[in-house]
Amino acid sequence: MKSSGWKIVIVAAWISLACTTKVSEWVLLNAPADRYLLAYFHQGALPDPVIRQNREIEAKIPQANLLFKQVLKKDIDRPYYALYYKNRLFARYDDSRALAGLTSSPMRKKIAAELMEGQLCVLLYLTTGNSVKDMKGMEVIRKTLSASPFGKIITLVELDSNDPEEQHFANMLLNVEEDLKTISEPMLFGIFGQFRVLEPLLAKGISGENIRLMIDFFTADCSCVIKDDLPGISMLCEETWKDPVPARVNKILDENPQLMHR
Amino acid sequence: MGNDTIRYDSLEARPLPKWLTDQRDGLNTWQPPKMEMKEDRSLGVSMVTTGVIILLTLTILTIYFLRKNKKRNRP
Repeated sequence: MKSSGWKIVIVAAWISLACTTKVSEWVLLNAPADRYLLAYFHQGALPDPVIRQNREIEAKIPQANLLFKQVLKKDIDRPYYALYYKNRLFARYDDSRALAGLTSSPMRKKIAAELMEGQLCVLLYLTTGNSVKDMKGMEVIRKTLSASPFGKIITLVELDSNDPEEQHFANMLLNVEEDLKTISEPMLFGIFGQFRVLEPLLAKGISGENIRLMIDFFTADCSCVIKDDLPGISMLCEETWKDPVPARVNKILDENPQLMHR
Repeated sequence: MGNDTIRYDSLEARPLPKWLTDQRDGLNTWQPPKMEMKEDRSLGVSMVTTGVIILLTLTILTIYFLRKNKKRNRP
């Protein structure tokens, strides 16, 4: 075969491979996390302590998907920090001490480590503190995961929405959709790729059928529709996402071809 | 973010996330672009061109043979 023929065969093989990569794996390898913006709004010249303080903040965030900017704004009463995601205000901080733990927390480190270990996804159950509601949802999740052929490659974590150590993370989760902060119901978030979080299932939406559809979403072939319009939002996280363990879902699908779907 | 829910009256009426309904309805898989019918004149053009070529060929051949026969029939 001529060299041009071989080139065509190789390109065709790459294209076919790209189209059979599963959503969870494709997003982890190819879709970098969206960046947040932390802005410091001030009225005029900055005093030395504030300059030093902002330099320290900037120095702490090199690995996170965060950009820091100082913005001169005349029509404000006093300086403040504001966190934005795609021009949407997620939080306002009047004191730099409130920024502690903004880009990293124990739960986020654990979730990032699980994603890097080749897990299909992490399911995060955000509880309300109402034990009756919380238990009911958790039972459905556990039952569905234990019956799923992908149960072993899905990590389930539980987060109390009032946990002070995870307040920044919980705030970002409740900003995935505009109305979540007003809903006092347990929520189930699917986390995949480079810490991308899907719009959650909540209240009665946490059902076996919907959880199976979520798993189907992660195990399906990554289509152009998903690549062009990736659902969910990125979370702030300190992770380089270099050299993840190969996706474990492929082994399960190779051994059980009947589980393949599009 | 792009899937933010629209207004609803109660939690019961809150719509499911778009990624979920798309997965349920099979809309997350790639679909070929819709074929649209365009005005097609190629058949007419082809027939007219063929007709013109046939007529032209017949005319040329007729003239050629008539001239050839004229030359042969001259005393």
